[in-house]
Amino acid sequence: MITITINEKKITLEKPVTILEAARSAGIHIPTLCHEDILEPYGGCRLCLVEVEKVPRLLSACTQYITEGMVVRTETERVIEARRAILEFLLINHPLDCSFCDKAGECDLQDLAMKYGPATGRFAEGKRKHPESYDDPLIVRNMERCVLCSKCVRMCEDVQGASALCITNRGSKSYVEPFSGGRYNCEYCGNCLTVCPVGAIMSGLHRHDYRSWLIEREVETVCSYCGVGCSLLLQIRGNSLIRTVPKIGRGLNRGLLCSKGRFGYDYISNSERLDTPLIRRNGELQPAAWSEAITHIARRLKEIKENHGSDAIAGIVSGRCTNEDAYVFQKFFRGAIGTNNIDSVASLAYGPAQRFFERIFGQGVTANDIHGISNSDGIFVIGGDPTGINPVLGLQVRSACKKGAPVVVMGYAEGLKRFSKHAFITNSTTETVLLASLVSEIKKKKSLPGERPVFEEIISGLQPVPLKDASEMSGFGLNDLVDTVDTLSNMINPSIIVGRDIVQTSTGHMSLLFLAALAYLLNGRIYLLSELPNEQGLLDMGCQPDMLPSGRPLTIETFRTRCEETLGIAIPSTPGLNYVEMIEAAHAGRIKALYVMGEDTVQGLPDRNYVSDALRNVEFLVVQDMFLTETAQYADVVLPSLSWAEKEGSYTNLERRVQLTKKAVEGEGIEEWKIISEMSKILGLDMGYRSVTDIFTEIVRISHIYREITYNDITSGRCMWPYKGGPLRHDVHIEGIELPDIVSVMKNADESGVQVRREAHLFHSQNASRYSPALQSISPEPYVKMSETLAGRLSLRDGEHVKVVTEAGSITLSVHRDPCLPENVVLIPPFEKGGIFEITKWKVNPVTKAPALDGNRVIIET
Amino acid sequence: MVVLNQKVLEEINRIKSKYHDSRSCLLPALYIFQREYGWLSPEALEAVGEILNIPKATVKGVSTFYAMFSHKPTGRHLIQLCTNVACMLMGGERLLDVLREQYGLEPNITTPDNRFSLVIMECIGACDTAPAMLVDTDFHGNLTGEKVIDILEKYK
Ligand code: SF4
Ligand code: SF4
Ligand code: SF4
Ligand code: FES
Ligand code: FES
Repeated sequence: MITITINEKKITLEKPVTILEAARSAGIHIPTLCHEDILEPYGGCRLCLVEVEKVPRLLSACTQYITEGMVVRTETERVIEARRAILEFLLINHPLDCSFCDKAGECDLQDLAMKYGPATGRFAEGKRKHPESYDDPLIVRNMERCVLCSKCVRMCEDVQGASALCITNRGSKSYVEPFSGGRYNCEYCGNCLTVCPVGAIMSGLHRHDYRSWLIEREVETVCSYCGVGCSLLLQIRGNSLIRTVPKIGRGLNRGLLCSKGRFGYDYISNSERLDTPLIRRNGELQPAAWSEAITHIARRLKEIKENHGSDAIAGIVSGRCTNEDAYVFQKFFRGAIGTNNIDSVASLAYGPAQRFFERIFGQGVTANDIHGISNSDGIFVIGGDPTGINPVLGLQVRSACKKGAPVVVMGYAEGLKRFSKHAFITNSTTETVLLASLVSEIKKKKSLPGERPVFEEIISGLQPVPLKDASEMSGFGLNDLVDTVDTLSNMINPSIIVGRDIVQTSTGHMSLLFLAALAYLLNGRIYLLSELPNEQGLLDMGCQPDMLPSGRPLTIETFRTRCEETLGIAIPSTPGLNYVEMIEAAHAGRIKALYVMGEDTVQGLPDRNYVSDALRNVEFLVVQDMFLTETAQYADVVLPSLSWAEKEGSYTNLERRVQLTKKAVEGEGIEEWKIISEMSKILGLDMGYRSVTDIFTEIVRISHIYREITYNDITSGRCMWPYKGGPLRHDVHIEGIELPDIVSVMKNADESGVQVRREAHLFHSQNASRYSPALQSISPEPYVKMSETLAGRLSLRDGEHVKVVTEAGSITLSVHRDPCLPENVVLIPPFEKGGIFEITKWKVNPVTKAPALDGNRVIIET
Repeated sequence: MVVLNQKVLEEINRIKSKYHDSRSCLLPALYIFQREYGWLSPEALEAVGEILNIPKATVKGVSTFYAMFSHKPTGRHLIQLCTNVACMLMGGERLLDVLREQYGLEPNITTPDNRFSLVIMECIGACDTAPAMLVDTDFHGNLTGEKVIDILEKYK
C-alpha cells in the first residue's frame, strides 16, 4: 500500500504506478500529449508536469512513479506557467489553421491551447513550411501541425510492429514520414491515426466531410471483416456513416484495428449496392417488388420440391451472416424444405479443422482467448499468416515475440518475417512430412502426459520420420530442424495458430493429426484463423449438413428428436451435402434449386469455371447479396441484403466470443431472417418471429452451448466460451482415425513442377473488401510471388508481367520476387480479378471433405 | 538498386559479429555505405535495413538524425565545416565566405565539377583547435582563409 496526496486529496494505491495513473484513479485530470496507455511511458512533451513537494524541479507525471508520502500538486501557478511556456514553444511552428483542420473539435492541442496557452506567441521568425501530403490514397499527412509527440511512430513500431514510420531529421527540422516520404506502403492499420493528438495524420476518406461536433450518434459494434471481431465505433450523421474509429481500451482489440476495420467500411455506401429485388424474365434480371420476389421464390421452391424431392434443393450461407440469420436459414431448410442440404463457407477449412481437433480433444478446444497468445512463451504458426488473415490476432504474435517468445512458422507469413526464429516455407507434402518429423523427434524429448490414453496410443503408433530424411526431402537444413525441435520442446505454454492452407491439401487430414499430436505433446493452445466474421457462429447455428445447432450430430437420434420436439418441426435423419458437394451435385444436375445467402460462390471457391458451370446448370438459383456479384449474375432471383451496419444480430468470433452487431443506419432492404420467415410461412412453416431477440431466445432454448445467455449478457461482454460455465461435450471420437502412412507419402510425393499456393492478403479478403474503394486503392495490382531462383532462371524482374498458366486457365500477373520462397512454390493472393482461384481446381480430401488445392501446378510464361 | 560489393558485405558482417544486437551495427554500416557510395540513397538505406534486419524506416530515421550522413549525392570530397559557438567565435563563419568566393560553395551544395560538397556541422569535437573542419575523414584545425585554400588544393 502506498499513500500519496494529490491536490490535498489522500490516495491509497496497491501498486507503485505513475503519478498520472494515480491521479486518474482519483478522478484528477492531468493534461498529456505524448502519453497513451497502450504505449510505454515516454515523457517527451512535458505537458503533464506537476509539482512534487521537496523536489525542486517539476516532474512529468507520465513517467514518474509514486512513492510513499509523496505530495503532488497538478495545477499550481508554477505548473500552469510551465504548461503555457511549453505550449508557446509547440505553437512556434504550428500553422494555427484550425479553421480548416479536420481535427478541430477533437484536437488535444487545440483544447490545451484554449485552457493554458498564450493567446499570442512572441516568436517573430518564420514558421517551418511543409506542404500537406496527399501522395497516399488513404492517409493525409500535414507535418506543419505535428507536435512531435512520436506517438504514431511508437504505435507503428512497438504495437503494430510494422515500423513503417520514422522521424526524419533532427531538432526543429524533424517531421514524421513513411520511408518513401510519400505513399505509406504500410499495413494501413490506421492505428497511428488513432493516437495522433493533432491533425497531422488523418484519414483521407472523409476529408473535410465533417466536423467532430457534427457527429450525431455513435454506435458501438463489431467489425464485419474477419473472425477476430474487433469492437468499432460507428460515427453517424443523419443516415450516413461518416467514419469508423476504435476506442482505445475498448473491446477485445483494445482500441487497435486493422486496415479492413479502419478503412474498409466504405463498401456500405458503394453506389453499386442493390436496392431492389431482381427477377430473371426473358433471360434478363429485372427489378421486381419484394412481395413478388418472395412469393416467386416460395412458389418455385415448392414446385421443385414436389417434382424432384426436397434433396434437390440446397442452401449455402456466407460467413458474413449473423447467427440469427443463419439459424433461421437452416431451420427453413430443415423444417420447411425438408432437407439437410445446408452448409456454409466454414466447411472449406475452418469447420473441418475444428471438427478434427474436437474429435480428439473435445468441444471447445479451439476456443481460446486471443490475448493468451501474447502471454505464451512460444508460438507455432502454420497454414496462413495471422497478420494478414486476422491482423489484430497477428499483433498478439508480434507482441509475444517482442517479449521474447520464439516464433516458429511453417508456410508463408509475410507479416511475421521479422518476428520468426525459424520459418519454413513448405509445399503441401513437405508441410506434412516436416510436421511428422517434428512430432517424432519431440516425442523422444517429451514424455506423454497420460491424459488421453487413446490418443497417446495413436501418437505412439506414428511412423518415425528422422529429421535427416525430412531435411533431405524438404531441402531445409538439418541444423535448422534440430534447433527447431529444441525450440519447440522448450516451450511450456505455447500457442498453436492454424490457418486454412494446411487443411486444403490432399494430406491435410494427416497434417491435422500431426498437429494435434504436436499440440498435445507441447501442451499448446490451438487457435484457428477465421477469414470471415461469423464462421464459428455458422457452425454453432447448425449450418452444417450433418450437425444440428450447437454442434450436435444429426445422426444421434436423441439430439434430433429433442430438437424436433422443441421446435415443432420434422428434421430429416440423413445428412445432406456439404458446400463443395452441393456444387458438384449441381454440376452433375442433381441439385435443381440453390439458395445462396450472402456468398459469392464463384469468387470464393477454388475453381471459377467449374463453379460457374455448376451455377448455370441449376434450374433455380436464388442469391441474396448486397451487390450483383458474379454468382448473382447467374441467379434467377436476386434479393438485396442489408449491410452489417443496417441490421441487428450477433457474431461469434474465433475464440467463441458472442458479440452484438448493431444497427447504425437505415438501409434499403429487409432483414434476411424476415425474408426467410416470409417464405417459410408460404411453404407452411410459420416461424412467428417478431424480432431478432425472439430468434436468439429460441437459439438459446435449443442450443445447449448458448444456454441461458441473453443479449444483455452479450452487451456486457460476458459471453466468452464456455458460456455460463458449460456444459461442454467432453466425449471424444478418436476411433476411426487412421494412422497416416507417412512413409508412402514421402515415397509417392509428386514433387514435379511448381506448386501454386494461396497467400492470404491483408487488403483483399475476398469478401466485402472487393466493394471497398478504400481497400482496393491500396494495392490494386494482382501479383505472383516467386523465388529469386525461379525469377532468375526466367530473367524476370520485379514488376514485370507474366502469364501464369495451369490446367484450369491462365492469368497475367506482375512478378514479386521473394528470396524466402523455395523454387517449387509460387504464391498468388485471392485478388478479385487475377486471383488464385481463377486458375485452380480442387479435389476433395476424403477425410476432412475440404477442397484440396495441392494438385495445381503452374507454368510461368514470359 | 545498390550493387552490393562483397567487400562491403564482409566488412559489415565482421562488425555485426562483434555485437549482440544487429542494431548496434547500424551506424558503422551506414558509414561504410556512405564511404563506398558517397551518399546514402533510399536504396542504400533499404539495403542496410535488409542486411541488418532492421525496418527501413527505422534506418532512415537514424541516418537522417545525423548531419554527417548525406542523403543527396555528394562531390568527390565532403567538406564539413563547423560554425558552432567555439568555431564561430574564432571566425568559422568567415571561412564560409572564403569557400563561397574561391569555389562557389554554399551549404548543402556540390560544385559543378563535382569536386566538393559542403555541409555545416554543429561542433565536430575540435573546439580546442577552432575553427575546424573535416575534409572527408581528415581533421583540419586552427584554420585561416589561406590555410583552407592550401588544404583544399590537395583534394582533387
Ligand atoms: S497505418 Fe499502421 S502500419 Fe501504417 S504507418 Fe500507421 S501505424 Fe504504421
Ligand atoms: S504525427 Fe501526430 S502522432 Fe505523430 S508525432 Fe506528429 S503529432 Fe505525434
Ligand atoms: S482484425 Fe478482423 S475484426 Fe479486427 S478490424 Fe481487422 S478485419 Fe476487423
Ligand atoms: S504526457 Fe507526460 S511528457 Fe508527454
Ligand atoms: S564548436 Fe566547432 S568543433 Fe566544437
